[in-house]
Amino acid sequence: MRGLPANLMPSLPRWSPRRLSTRIVVVFLGLLLLVQLLGFAAVRYSIAHNARALLAENLAFGEQVWRRLLEQRAEKLTLAARVLATDWGFRTAVLAGDTGTLASALGNHGGRVGASVSAMLTPAGRPLALGEGSDEHTLEALRQLSSLPAAEDGNVLALVDGLPHQLVVVPMRAPDLKGRVVMGFALDEGLVQDMRRITGLEVAVVVADADGARRVVLSTLAPEAASELAAPSGAEGAGGDLQLGDAPHLAHAVTLLDGAPGRPALQALLLRSIDDAVAPYRDLQATLAAITLGGLLLAGSASVFTARRVTTPLRALAGASERLGRGHYDEPLEHVSREDEIGDLAKAFDHMRVSIAAHESEIRQLAYWDRLTGLPNRARFRDAVRAAIADAASGGRPVAVVMLDLDRFKHVNDVLGYAFGDRLLKAVAARQTGHAVREGDLIARLSGDEFALLLPGSSAAQALAVAERIAEAFQAPLTLDDHTVDLAAGFGVACWPDHAGDADALISRAEVAMYTAKRKTTSALVYDPAIDAGSAETLSLLSELRRALERDELRLFLQPKVALASGRIVAAEALVRWQHPERGMVPPMQFIPFAEQTGFVRQLTLWMFEACAREWPALQALGVQRVSVNLSTRDLLDLELPQRLQAILGRLGVAPQAFCLEITESAIMDEPQRTLAVLEALSAAGFKLSIDDFGTGYSSLAYLKRLPVDELKIDKSFVMGMERDEQDAKIVRSTIDLAHNLGLTVVAEGVENEAIWRQLVALHCDEAQGYHMSRPLPAAELPAFAARWAERVATAQAG
Amino acid sequence: MRARAKSSFLPGRAVKLFTAGLLAAAGGALAAEVTVDVRSSDGLPLADAVVFLESPAARAALRPARGTEIEQAERRFTQRVTVVPVGSEVQFPNRDKVRHHVYSFSPAKTFELKLYIGTPANPVLFDRPGIAVLGCNIHDSMIAWVVVVETPHHGLTAAPGRVRLADVPPGSYRLRTWHPALPPGAPALDQPLVVPAAGAAVTVQLPLAAAQAS
Repeated sequence: MRGLPANLMPSLPRWSPRRLSTRIVVVFLGLLLLVQLLGFAAVRYSIAHNARALLAENLAFGEQVWRRLLEQRAEKLTLAARVLATDWGFRTAVLAGDTGTLASALGNHGGRVGASVSAMLTPAGRPLALGEGSDEHTLEALRQLSSLPAAEDGNVLALVDGLPHQLVVVPMRAPDLKGRVVMGFALDEGLVQDMRRITGLEVAVVVADADGARRVVLSTLAPEAASELAAPSGAEGAGGDLQLGDAPHLAHAVTLLDGAPGRPALQALLLRSIDDAVAPYRDLQATLAAITLGGLLLAGSASVFTARRVTTPLRALAGASERLGRGHYDEPLEHVSREDEIGDLAKAFDHMRVSIAAHESEIRQLAYWDRLTGLPNRARFRDAVRAAIADAASGGRPVAVVMLDLDRFKHVNDVLGYAFGDRLLKAVAARQTGHAVREGDLIARLSGDEFALLLPGSSAAQALAVAERIAEAFQAPLTLDDHTVDLAAGFGVACWPDHAGDADALISRAEVAMYTAKRKTTSALVYDPAIDAGSAETLSLLSELRRALERDELRLFLQPKVALASGRIVAAEALVRWQHPERGMVPPMQFIPFAEQTGFVRQLTLWMFEACAREWPALQALGVQRVSVNLSTRDLLDLELPQRLQAILGRLGVAPQAFCLEITESAIMDEPQRTLAVLEALSAAGFKLSIDDFGTGYSSLAYLKRLPVDELKIDKSFVMGMERDEQDAKIVRSTIDLAHNLGLTVVAEGVENEAIWRQLVALHCDEAQGYHMSRPLPAAELPAFAARWAERVATAQAG
Repeated sequence: MRARAKSSFLPGRAVKLFTAGLLAAAGGALAAEVTVDVRSSDGLPLADAVVFLESPAARAALRPARGTEIEQAERRFTQRVTVVPVGSEVQFPNRDKVRHHVYSFSPAKTFELKLYIGTPANPVLFDRPGIAVLGCNIHDSMIAWVVVVETPHHGLTAAPGRVRLADVPPGSYRLRTWHPALPPGAPALDQPLVVPAAGAAVTVQLPLAAAQAS
C-alpha cells in the first residue's frame, strides 16, 4: 500500500465538533449530564425545601414545647401557690385583718416558693395588699388578671417592671372564697436552658417596649448574637430568615404578650441554624456529586469506546474510498469480517473495489487498446511516445515514429466486405509485429488502416530502414480465404528531437511524411520541413478564400450542355472561378481541392447555388432547362444540405427541378450510408441528381441501382478517347446503353470536335458538353454565346 | 344520722312550742303557721334554704338553743346548714377516726377547734347574729354553714323546698331567706310579711339557679 498524503485525507481535527465520534460522545455525555444535573437540582431543591420545611416544623414543634414548658411551669407554680394559699399559718395571717400582717405574710410565704412578687386580691379582683418586695409595677401587672375567673386557678404572662413574669393566681378559701393570692415568678435562665436542652433550639425572649425599643431579656445565645436580635433589623416579630453573625438562622416567633398600642409586647424567638439543619444533607449531596462524576467518567469512556468502534472503521472506509478514488484497487478493505452494519458496509465497499478495479481495467483496455487487432490505440500510442520522449530526454537518444497507411484499403473493404477488411487489418498487424519490431518498440493501430511504430532510440535512418523492411514484407501477397490481396502502404518517418519537440508534433510530422510518401507513391519518406511548408501556405489560402467570398471575388462560369438530338442549349454546368486581385484569374485546381480538404467547399457550394439561382431567370430565358452544380464529399456529409439549398431557392423563388446536382462516385463511397440519406433527401426535394465522371471510380452497378440519380455523365477521358480508341468507344456506347436501360439520361463530357459530336449523335447520347461547343463562359456572356450557337446550328442544319 | 339529728332537735321544738304558748297567753292571741316554699330563679325547689321571720317581738322572745350539734362523719359535716338563735352553744362531735380542725374566719363567729377526736370539751358559743362558714383545716372539701338568727321562728327547707314555721304569732315580720349557694357575704333575702292569725303560705324565689344550689 502506498501511504496517502496527509493533506488528501478528508481529515478533521481529532476532536472537531463535526466528527461523528465527538458528536456521539457529546450527545451521550450531554444527556447524562443533563439528567444528572436535573436530578442533582431536584435533590438540592428537595433538600433545601425539606430541610427548611423540617426546620420550620421543628420550630413549630418548638413553640408547642415552649408553651407546654410555660404551662408546666405555671402548673408547678400554681401548685406551689395553692399550697401556700391553704397554709394555715398563711391563711391565719392573711385573714388576720391588718394589711401590715397581710403584706409581710405574702412576702414571707411567697419567698418560700420563689415568687418574686406577691399580692392578695379580693374575690372581685381588687388588690387588697401587695407582698413585701412588690411595688406599683406589680399593681400594673395585676390588671392582667382581671379577666380570670375568681374562684379558679389561673396564670398569665405579664411584664413586671419590664421583665417577663408568670403570674399565677389561686383562690384562697377559708373555707369559702376569701380572696385571691397572686404569686409572680420571673422567667429565668433555667427555663430557656431547659427549652434548649429539650428541643435543641436557641431561645431568646424579647420585649418590645411601648416606644418600640426591643430588648433581649433572656437568651441561650451568645451575648453578641443576642444583641443582634434586639437590633431593629432583627426579626420584627414574624420570624423567618435571620442572619446571626455569619450563620443564617430560621426563626420562629412565639407571641407571649400582645403589644396592644401603647403597651409593651413580649415575644419568644425560637432559632435554629440553617447550616446545622442542612449539614446531614451536605454529605448526601457530596456522595451524589461523586456518583455523578463517576457516572460521567463511565459513560464518557463507554461512549468514546462505542464511538471509536463506529468511527474507526468509518475512517478506514473513508481512507479506502480515497485510495479507490486515486486508483489504488489492490488493497482489500479491513473490517469485512465484522458481523454488524459496519461489516456489511465494508463488504459492500470491498465488493465495489473489486468491481471498480475490473471495470477500470476493462475501460483501460477499451481506452488504450484496439479491440480488433489487440494493438495499442492512438491514445496509448500517444502516451507511449510521450513517455519515450521523457525517457530519452535524459539519455540524449532520439525517438523515431514510423507511420503507415495501407493503400486502397477502403476499396478492399468495399469489394471484399468489412469482415474481410478486419481480418486483413489483423493480418497486417501480425505481419508488422512479426517482421520488424525490436524489444521496446511499440506498434499501434491509430485508426482504420493507419498504423504507427514507436522506435525509441532509433535515428531517422534506422527508422527508415525499419519502414522499408516492413514495406518489403508487405510485398508478399496476403492470402485470406480464397482472396489474395496485394498489400501496399505509404510510410512516413519522423524523429525526435530533429523533427518535432513533443509527442503530438512528432506523430503529426510522421503523418505528414506518410501522406507525402503516398502522394509521391514512394514507399517511405523521412519528414522534411520542406514538404510541410504548404501548411503555412494553406492557412493563408484559407483566409484569402474567405476574403474572396466577402469581397465578391468569385465568379460564376457556365459551360453549356447541348441536346445532341436538337442541337439546342438545354442545360449548363456551373463552375467557379476566382478573380484574385493580385494573381488574376486563379484556376479551380489551385483552390478547389484545398477547399475540399478544409471544408470550405461547403461555403463555395452554397455560393454557387445562390449565384445560379440568381442567374436562373436569365438562363430560363435562353431556353436552359436546368443548371448543374457540383457537390463535394463534404457537402454530401452535411445532413442539413437539403434544407440549406431549399432555403436559398425559397428565398429566390426558384424550383428545385431547375437544378441538377453532380456527384462524383468517390464522394459517395467515403460514407455511403450517410451520403445516400442526403441524396435521397435531395431527390425527394425535387433536385435532379447526376453521377459525374462516371466510369472512373470503383462504383458498382449495385450502387447505381440504389442511388436516386437521373443522369450519368460519362467521364471525358472515355469521350475524348473514343475517336481513336475502340475500347473507349465501346465503354461510351455501353454506358449510354446502360443508362438508357436504367432510365437515365446521359451526358458526354469532353466533346472537343465535330467527329465526337457525330459519334455521340449516332450513339443516341442525350447531351454533350465540351470545347467543341463552348468552354466555360462568364455567366454574363452566355446569352451572346447562345445567339451565336443558334446561328451555328441553323447554318449547320441549313448546310 | 337523720334520726339522730332530728332527735337532737327535739328539745328545740319543745322550747318553741313552749314560747308560743307563752306568747299566746300574753297576747291573748292564737299562734299561726307560716309555710314557705323556696324556689330557685328557674322555679325549682331549693333544699337547705334557711328561712326565718324577724320582728322586735320575735327578738324579744329569743331563747338560745341547747344541745345543738354539728357532727362530722366520713370527712363531711353531716348537716350542711345549721340555724341557731343567738347565744346558742353548739357541740362539734367528730365521728371519724381522723382528727378534724374545724375553724371559722367569719365575722359572725371566729373560732378554731384544733385537731380533735370525739367531742371537744367546750362547745362553741354563737353570740352574734350572722353567718359563720365552717371549714376543716385538714380537709379542704369540708364546709358547713351556721346561720345565727335573732328570732325563734326559723327553719330549714327540706328536699321539696318547703318549710313550715309553726306557732308564729300573727303580726308583721321581716321574712328572711338565705341559701349557702348565694354569693359569699351576701345577706339573707329580706322581705316583709304580715302573718294573719290563720297563718300564711309564701313562696320565695332566690336569685340563684338550682344547678348552683347543689
